[in-house]
Amino acid sequence: MNQAVKWVFYLIVLLFLAAIPFLMSDFFTTMTTRVMYFSLMAISFAFLAGQVGLISLAVPAFLGVAGYTIAILETREILFFPYSAIAALGMVLVAAAIFGIFVNRSQGIYFLMLTLILGQIVWAVALQWASVTNGSNGLIGITRPEVMQFTVAGQEVGFYYILLLTVLLVTFGVLALTRSSFGMKLKGIRESESRMIMLGYPVMRMKWIAFMISAFIAGLSGIFLVYYIGVMHPSAIDLDSAAMVLIAVIFGGIYSIVGAIIGMGIVQTFEIFLSAFTSRYMIIIALMFLFVVMYAPKGIMGSIYKIKFMDALYQKWYTGRKKR
Amino acid sequence: MNIKWKHVSFAVLGASLLAVTSACTEEMETELEEEMDDGVTEDEGSAESDTEDDADDGDEAEEAGAIQIGVVGPMTGGFAAYGEKVEKGVELALSEVDHTFNGNEITTVVEDSQADAEQLMTRLDSLRDRNEVDIVIGPSTGDEGEAAASWAQNNEDTLIMPGYSAPEDMTMRDASDNLLRAGWTGSQTIFHFGKYVAEEMGHERIVMVGQDYAYPWDQAAGFKRGFFENGGEEVHTIWHPTDTLEFSAIMGELQGMADEYDAVLLNSGGADAIAFYEAWEQYGMDESYPQMLGGTNVADIPILEEVSDNFEGVYSSMHYSESLDHEENVEFRENYAEMHGEEADGIALQGYDTMRVILDALEETDGDTSDTAALSEAIRDMEVGDSPRGAFTFDEYGHAVQDIYIKRVDLVDGELQNEVVETYEEVSQFGPYEDYQDEYMAQPGNERDFPADTAEEYFEDLEEYFGEEYMNELEEGGIWE
Repeated sequence: MNQAVKWVFYLIVLLFLAAIPFLMSDFFTTMTTRVMYFSLMAISFAFLAGQVGLISLAVPAFLGVAGYTIAILETREILFFPYSAIAALGMVLVAAAIFGIFVNRSQGIYFLMLTLILGQIVWAVALQWASVTNGSNGLIGITRPEVMQFTVAGQEVGFYYILLLTVLLVTFGVLALTRSSFGMKLKGIRESESRMIMLGYPVMRMKWIAFMISAFIAGLSGIFLVYYIGVMHPSAIDLDSAAMVLIAVIFGGIYSIVGAIIGMGIVQTFEIFLSAFTSRYMIIIALMFLFVVMYAPKGIMGSIYKIKFMDALYQKWYTGRKKR
Repeated sequence: MNIKWKHVSFAVLGASLLAVTSACTEEMETELEEEMDDGVTEDEGSAESDTEDDADDGDEAEEAGAIQIGVVGPMTGGFAAYGEKVEKGVELALSEVDHTFNGNEITTVVEDSQADAEQLMTRLDSLRDRNEVDIVIGPSTGDEGEAAASWAQNNEDTLIMPGYSAPEDMTMRDASDNLLRAGWTGSQTIFHFGKYVAEEMGHERIVMVGQDYAYPWDQAAGFKRGFFENGGEEVHTIWHPTDTLEFSAIMGELQGMADEYDAVLLNSGGADAIAFYEAWEQYGMDESYPQMLGGTNVADIPILEEVSDNFEGVYSSMHYSESLDHEENVEFRENYAEMHGEEADGIALQGYDTMRVILDALEETDGDTSDTAALSEAIRDMEVGDSPRGAFTFDEYGHAVQDIYIKRVDLVDGELQNEVVETYEEVSQFGPYEDYQDEYMAQPGNERDFPADTAEEYFEDLEEYFGEEYMNELEEGGIWE
């Protein structure tokens, strides 16, 4: 019965998401698209934060590496989709591999600081290396590849569907990963790194791989961002973006992948809706954030998991234990 | 019991999800309708005939005849002044016509872009899809400029007029028919200042201290061109990051080379410029460098209010000066001060002028905002004679051709003020390269080290990109007459 309910629920959500371009206004579709590509960044963050216990502020940097790789290759007409996207992901993995070597030697606040610095380095390079990145003017004129432009029943849904599919695949992929033996080991590292080392696990290597996975997902979000808005600009990867991801994930619940998506949805939606009424909307978001941190420190998903059935799921997926 | 709970909770969750989403879209629509309904007071008949050709059923806005204009720019954060002042200028222009056009109400929708290119794209999308505006004023900072140009290329049925953004490529290499700028570019305002400094003030070697990003690079480029081509020898550039407030090291560096250079050009703006001048006074730099020069944003009114009276004597150039004494300017400044309780400056002026240009264009199209091509056409043909900055027209790329004023800061009645000492008439965004537009655009974009810092290297590049013919004409003095 549990299974059936679960699948019915998934099906409803999926159908609803798939139907958005037809049912809702263009505005709503645009906003959903935006929430989705930012969600990828949130998932990337939440995966590291929730599973391994590492708060990485370098997530937007990987978005930047992917975005800039595509932007540079395509505006200079060197490579085009899909090769540019492959090159972008390759660049992200290389960058993450190198960054990973440095940052994985640290934990906690030091990890946060190192990733902050790396993120700022990428941002500064994007801003200052103007002959390649065009500096604060940003690179423009990146067009969406034709594969992403197909229409269904007169609605241009190509980009939306491909993004939706990617988000779903990534979400379920990451959820599956958290339940795999690799995920369990990551949780072990989160709980006690020294014990995992003592048990003989290659902790360094596993953290490194987790860092690469997280970077890869952030890279995916960069690809969609750059194709969607057609502009790559340093402001997309500055400290504000890192803070935005952090706030969104804390909103949703830092130990939850689904929570990351919901949190990002809430933050983005509030930004757009409130800003139509007042230009001081940031105050309202900040107040909400304050309440969330004070009264629901595990975020929105934390509150949802207080429901018994959801809690069972939570125990199963995130702590790796089954409560009896 | 357990299973029941599950069903109930899922049902509630699903229902609320659907309710929220549908409510959101409905809310938006009803709100829009309400706003539109307010607009329909009279003249309903003429309004309907105006928009006959508009078959789009979503455009209730236009059926009612009311006109909605989007204003986008940074309204929060460090660059908020740029966005807010443009908006204030727009409000002033609208209040002059009582927020109506042919009896139809004109409303503005203000969106905050946070000086962030990615945010700007979302805001522009919101204005297009949610508010269905056909005319957008903004953005207002250089960072957002190129992104707006990209958006304009992809949304040809929206007219977009930048507020204070100055990247030249917006109306040059990335120009599009629906993006028109009643503003300025980083180089446009300063080409002739370079000439003035070299010829009239007789300086040959200049140190330039500037913020390290695209707008000061554009300014540096324009200045170097005017300076070198009229006899300047070297412009030594010192770049510092934006938001630098500690200038001791730079002061030390400047003092060390005081013997070699004639003057310092401060190529900066905002808090950085104020902090620089404070350090300048503390270190007594006036003794080493009797003459200080400023970039376009340095002698701006908000800065003049902050610095001490010793700032007197700083030269700079711009397409506007608050001391212009023709009637329109005096009136504009009075009305602005009365409405907003602060002094008008170049930023507010540009919001004001842009809105007035749009109103004039609407006259041409009888209030039809949906035909972007007609609006764009009307603006391109326009000769604006009653702007506070003086007369200006638009070139084929949609950028303002206007007079550039060389200004000196003077102490008038105990207040610092920009006095116009020289006027160069009808300067386009290409400055002196009016006849060499293709060559100008074919060379690489402006950068921190392009054009070069010394006259020798500069002329090598110049010959490479502009060719023999230009060099001959330059020698005969045909370029800068």
